[in-house]
Amino acid sequence: MYEFDWSSILGALPILSHGMLVTLEITLTAIVIGILWGTLLALARLSDIRPLAWLAAGYVNLFRAVPLVMVILWFYLIVPALLKDVIGAAAGSDIRMVSALVAFALFESAYYAEIIRAGVQSVPKGQVNAAYALGMPYALTMRLVVLPQAFRNMLPLLLTQVIILFQDTSLVYVIGLADFFGAAYKVGDRDGRLVEMVLFAGAVYFVLCFGASLLVRQLRKRFAT
Amino acid sequence: MSYSWNWAVFLSPTPSGDSTYIGWLLQGLQWTLMLSLGAWVIAFLLGTLLGVLRTVPSRWLSRLAAAYVEAFRNVPLLVQLFTWYFVIPELLPRPWGDAVKQTDPLTQQFFAALLCLGCFTAARVCEQVRAGIGSLPRGQRAAGLALGLTLPQTYCYVLLPGALRLILPPLTSEFLNVFKNSAVASTIGLIELSRQSQQLVDYTAQTYEAFIVVTLMYMLINVAVMFGMRWLEHRTRIPGTLGSK
Amino acid sequence: MSMIEIDQVSKWYGAFQVLADCSTQVNKGEVVVVCGPSGSGKSTLIRCVNGLEGIQQGNIIVNGIALADLKTNLSKLRSRVGMVFQNFELFPHLSVTDNLTIGQIRMLGRSKEEAQARGLKMLDRVGLKAQAAKYPGALSGGQQQRVAIARALAMDPICMLFDEPTSALDPEMVKEVLDVMVELATEGMTMMCVTHEMGFARKVADRVIFMDHGRIVEDAAKSDFFGTPRSERVQLFLSKILQH
Repeated sequence: MYEFDWSSILGALPILSHGMLVTLEITLTAIVIGILWGTLLALARLSDIRPLAWLAAGYVNLFRAVPLVMVILWFYLIVPALLKDVIGAAAGSDIRMVSALVAFALFESAYYAEIIRAGVQSVPKGQVNAAYALGMPYALTMRLVVLPQAFRNMLPLLLTQVIILFQDTSLVYVIGLADFFGAAYKVGDRDGRLVEMVLFAGAVYFVLCFGASLLVRQLRKRFAT
Repeated sequence: MSYSWNWAVFLSPTPSGDSTYIGWLLQGLQWTLMLSLGAWVIAFLLGTLLGVLRTVPSRWLSRLAAAYVEAFRNVPLLVQLFTWYFVIPELLPRPWGDAVKQTDPLTQQFFAALLCLGCFTAARVCEQVRAGIGSLPRGQRAAGLALGLTLPQTYCYVLLPGALRLILPPLTSEFLNVFKNSAVASTIGLIELSRQSQQLVDYTAQTYEAFIVVTLMYMLINVAVMFGMRWLEHRTRIPGTLGSK
Repeated sequence: MSMIEIDQVSKWYGAFQVLADCSTQVNKGEVVVVCGPSGSGKSTLIRCVNGLEGIQQGNIIVNGIALADLKTNLSKLRSRVGMVFQNFELFPHLSVTDNLTIGQIRMLGRSKEEAQARGLKMLDRVGLKAQAAKYPGALSGGQQQRVAIARALAMDPICMLFDEPTSALDPEMVKEVLDVMVELATEGMTMMCVTHEMGFARKVADRVIFMDHGRIVEDAAKSDFFGTPRSERVQLFLSKILQH
């Protein structure tokens, strides 16, 4: 039988916690940009201006059809060329983090856009009419009347998507970025303790995500009443 | 931009000389399809079984299935894959583990990815099946039992046929997810589609062509699955229900 | 002087014609009741008056301003035309007070204090001053509709549009809403009301319009409408309504 040796973990805590910071940084950036950009995409998709609606639908469908791994690679390989051409950034500077941030933000936007679109559609048409009847123009109607109600309706779904996103950030492994899992893997590989480190990382993710999903469930119950 | 396009790159031979670059991609596509379809069979069977267990009157069975779902839903897919690939062979009794390690790498990679993706997706299918059974009218189960059917028979002939039809749309999106998630297998070296695109970029530096073609292939899979599932939905529709002719 | 002028208005949903060549007007200080069977286009007509729905033919002029004119600031016009909906459409995420003030602050540029004072005054007028801090969900249907009327009144409207204001209410709550409307009418507010409440029409209407299949079939002074309606369709409608 395999003999476990968990001693690598203690010494690796600084590396691991730095990795967790990277994970959180990517997650938070993707949430913030994803919700902002996703809201614009959702509104564009619901817009009466046909070409705008089509563009937004195309964006959303493209990103939802392609594996996240591919998207991360795209931006890792394409962003440097763009940076070089556009702002003349030095070749060879480490763009892994930047490209990961961009990839996750743009990718998540597509998923948030669909959730937000459903949320906006869940607000009765009469509410829009009532706001118009008070004289509010479209933008104000959205900001003051529709979106506050839409976000309340879709909060549980948005948070569930955040948990999925938090797990998905581990895929930056494909570009060698040391997020929490990447750090755990590197330590395990270095010390020849891959089994322990993979299991440890899994356990940490499980505790965090399971805890978060219990919270979301509580929230859902409170909203249901 | 200084990039020089070269679409003919797909037809030029690979360094080993036994194939062309487009041949590589098609081979990758083949692995992606085999992996995804295989994983879906596992996910569908296991997921349906678990979904049924979630709704049976036995509290223990229901809790067992719930624990399965939580375990597989709250650990990243990548970590699960590394567990199947690196960890489990070590934890098996020595002779078994050695046997696994002696098989050729491609077989190891494929089966690790297959089991991983199948078990991961089963948790999601389980939740859908549970929701489907839950949204059937309550009287259906009672009516089945009242006819003298056993509980397994009631599930088999009454509840599941109804529930599976109801959840066809969410199952479609889970099915699509399997294809997308299969790209994660590239991290343990399985030469599926996204891995082959990376290889192609490494060898030819024609980044854009490689990505455009592979992206199109993934989109094609998407479209094919959606048409297939729409056809299935149409075929299995019950006359007199919403949306039927 | 006419407040609302509807001139040869036609409207289609695809191939289906919902309004056919409708013409009428509402004079300043007048109360006009629009009735007719469901699907007759009466709700659509009133929604067109403040541009919630577009029209394909004809003209609508409110307070001398043509809706179709590209120079018309529709938002500004709407902010001065009060509208009350069948399903109240209070904003559920805002308190009663915020519902009353949001339009005043955002559209009329009033200060928060000013808007609250005005809003509370209108709330008092519909008899609900005590409910100011509550949320719409905590109120009965009748109370919600009265708040909705107060919300429209707080904008100092030049006229009021009512789109079946009592048809989503339980019978025992209809009266409290109608009472508020009657009071408004007697104070000289210009009103266009889509409603089946013939009692309300008898009491305060100046004119009654009857619509069927997108057409204005009857447009008559109250006494003529209830006294000697000309068309058979109106007689049939009235006899059905009065049976209840």
